[in-house]
Amino acid sequence: MSAPLPSVLFVDDEERILRSLRMLFRGRCEILTTTSGREAVEWVRRRPVHVVVSDQRMPGMTGVEVLREVAAHSPATMRILLTGYADMDAVTASVNDGEIYRFIEKPWVAQYLVDTVEQAARVARHDFALAAARPAASAASPVDTAVAARVAVLDDEGALAAQVRELLPAAVRVEHAPDLEGTLELLADHDVAVVIARLSSADGDVADALKQLKRLRPATLAIVVSSLRDSRLLIGLINEGQVFRFLLQPAPRELLRRGLAAALERHAHLRTQSDLLQRHAVDAPRHEPVATTTGRLLQAWRRLREAAMLRIA
Amino acid sequence: MTAALQAFPTAPIASDVASRDATNDADARDRAPLSGLAGLLLPTEPVRPETSVLDVAQQFLDSRHAGLLSLPVVAVGGRPVGMISRYELMRVFLQPYGRELYGRRPITALMDRAPLVLPLSTSIDEAARTIAAHVRSPITDDFVLVDDAGYAGTGLVLDVLHAVEHRLAERSRELERAYARLKASQSQLVQSEKMASLGQMVAGLVHEINTPLGYVRNNVEMTRAALGDAARLVSAQQAVIDALTGEAEPDDDLDTRFAEVGHLRTRVDAAALDDLCGLLDDTVHGVGQIGELVLNLKDFSRLDQAGLQKADINRLVESALRIVAHVLRKRDIEVVLKLGEIPPLDCAPAQINQVLLNLLSNAAQAIEHERGRIVVATQALDRRVLVVVEDNGKGIEAEHLSRVFDPFFTTKPVGQGTGMGLAISHQIVEQHGGAIRVSSKPGTGTRFLVVLPVSGAAGAAP
Repeated sequence: MSAPLPSVLFVDDEERILRSLRMLFRGRCEILTTTSGREAVEWVRRRPVHVVVSDQRMPGMTGVEVLREVAAHSPATMRILLTGYADMDAVTASVNDGEIYRFIEKPWVAQYLVDTVEQAARVARHDFALAAARPAASAASPVDTAVAARVAVLDDEGALAAQVRELLPAAVRVEHAPDLEGTLELLADHDVAVVIARLSSADGDVADALKQLKRLRPATLAIVVSSLRDSRLLIGLINEGQVFRFLLQPAPRELLRRGLAAALERHAHLRTQSDLLQRHAVDAPRHEPVATTTGRLLQAWRRLREAAMLRIA
Repeated sequence: MTAALQAFPTAPIASDVASRDATNDADARDRAPLSGLAGLLLPTEPVRPETSVLDVAQQFLDSRHAGLLSLPVVAVGGRPVGMISRYELMRVFLQPYGRELYGRRPITALMDRAPLVLPLSTSIDEAARTIAAHVRSPITDDFVLVDDAGYAGTGLVLDVLHAVEHRLAERSRELERAYARLKASQSQLVQSEKMASLGQMVAGLVHEINTPLGYVRNNVEMTRAALGDAARLVSAQQAVIDALTGEAEPDDDLDTRFAEVGHLRTRVDAAALDDLCGLLDDTVHGVGQIGELVLNLKDFSRLDQAGLQKADINRLVESALRIVAHVLRKRDIEVVLKLGEIPPLDCAPAQINQVLLNLLSNAAQAIEHERGRIVVATQALDRRVLVVVEDNGKGIEAEHLSRVFDPFFTTKPVGQGTGMGLAISHQIVEQHGGAIRVSSKPGTGTRFLVVLPVSGAAGAAP
């Protein structure tokens, strides 16, 4: 007998959206729907839910709040935001608080939504099974994050690198690269836990590189610091780059510190349980790295790919 | 005598004077506003103190002096010593034996020894003041112009008048331009306030539109897929029926067709088609909602000022409420509508919309707790319409209450309010011949009252 269907919970204050989604997913999963954020959280508390797909703007509770609660009660549940309008604050919160898997905008493309939810459901079922097989122990035991961890800071100014150095314990190696080539070389030669990148332009190589990087090194977590209030850029970084944190420049010290600590811990966790890596799967970038890529940069990419191949082999 | 005259230096030759560039009157008037009195300079050839009265009279006949009321008398060295006017000569010559008595005497006997002398650098305004203090009626004399080198020429009082007039005209044009600029920048402000409030609206509206668009698109995609299944089912069934009724030779693949019919029937059954109808009902509803939102948006983006129309204030209220619906819904704010029977109102609907939108979004923003409530009431009273917008928000401090209609007054954080919303609302209501009042109690709420005459600004009581 085949495994029971995964359970997917849809949250939206518009009944017609829920009706439409029920129809779309009929036969593909066990469908739960609610117009109330609170009820959604209740549901996740009471029973296993593999995927939660939530609207953002709802009376009472926002989607990000719902997803944050869901993550707290059931970390293995995959979280997707499906929303009609992406204001920057909501998108930033969805990364930093909701740690969402995908940010999907309405109106959605039916096939893409089906594929994304099914993919998320596969990952979640795997994780649920894993958690069941290793009760309590792995989740509770603190992971020693500092051991041999290496952090790369891509920062053309250097101030960010200095701040990161100051915030981390001495056992963590902080490497500073002023440009993308330098960063890629670091990544090719070492196992880098976290990349902190200062992003100064939306259409530059850096955003593209972060997306490519996630495909080659899913265990490497990215923290982006930027003054760009560009929700589209950030949605791209979520869906195609699974960016771990997005901090608006100047990044408050405490936020940066907490982001770094969380990233190092998550990385250590991912290294011990490589099965979890699927959670960090990304969509194919909408476009290939820009054509202006220099020879040196191409060289760095090639080395990084080879290193990734070796690792897999 | 003026200070300018007292400061006059005694200096070189007057014979140079005639050789200065001739300047004609028209030129002088054109240049006047640019260079003060220098622009009005006429290089009149002066007479010598020793010249006889008869010779001076002869000189007045010279066509070059036709436009002059008087001729300057200048000593050797360029020092002006007096002025002789046609008027004075005529007065003397008209006396019995005047010509014989005075004709051979030097002009110094008749000349005005204290003529008006002004330096070339004098400004037109100052010259006008000095002339006004000096002038006699009738105007019999022009004035003498001097520079560092002494006598420079003469100037006409009339030219100064023209120049002053010119300057006044220039100034009033400048004022007009400044006024026009001010008006333009005000309408720009009105515009940017409108854009700012629209900008806040856009976020919500995009969401409001994308939500129905979301299920409409999804429903249509699913319907298309279902129709494909239905078409395949119909053709498979047809093939089977044809084979059974002998209409056609059974194909080799009849079994496969049978299987296909069986499979497709599980997907396209009466229940599925019923669901499909439900989806299409939703779709029609969604498209209608999008259409309505776009229509509302169109109302608000209209920039025409003139468009006076008969409008139903209740409909305007409802349309404004739809625009802010997302804000109200997001904050769980209850809206209580108490709409009365209102006669159609002569107004610019787009402007009244702006006022309502402004009052409603202010009301929503004032509410920081979770039991938000906004009451909107309309009522007809005599030939007037009353609109009340009342919230149970944080209220307005007494010291701020008198300033809420002031331009640029805002208590909202930087970037959230232009401080122009209520100022513009106030202006719009006044232009409609109406009035807007506010009362508020901190911690309890705020009430705005708008009174508009039914017959528009034209019918408003003076």
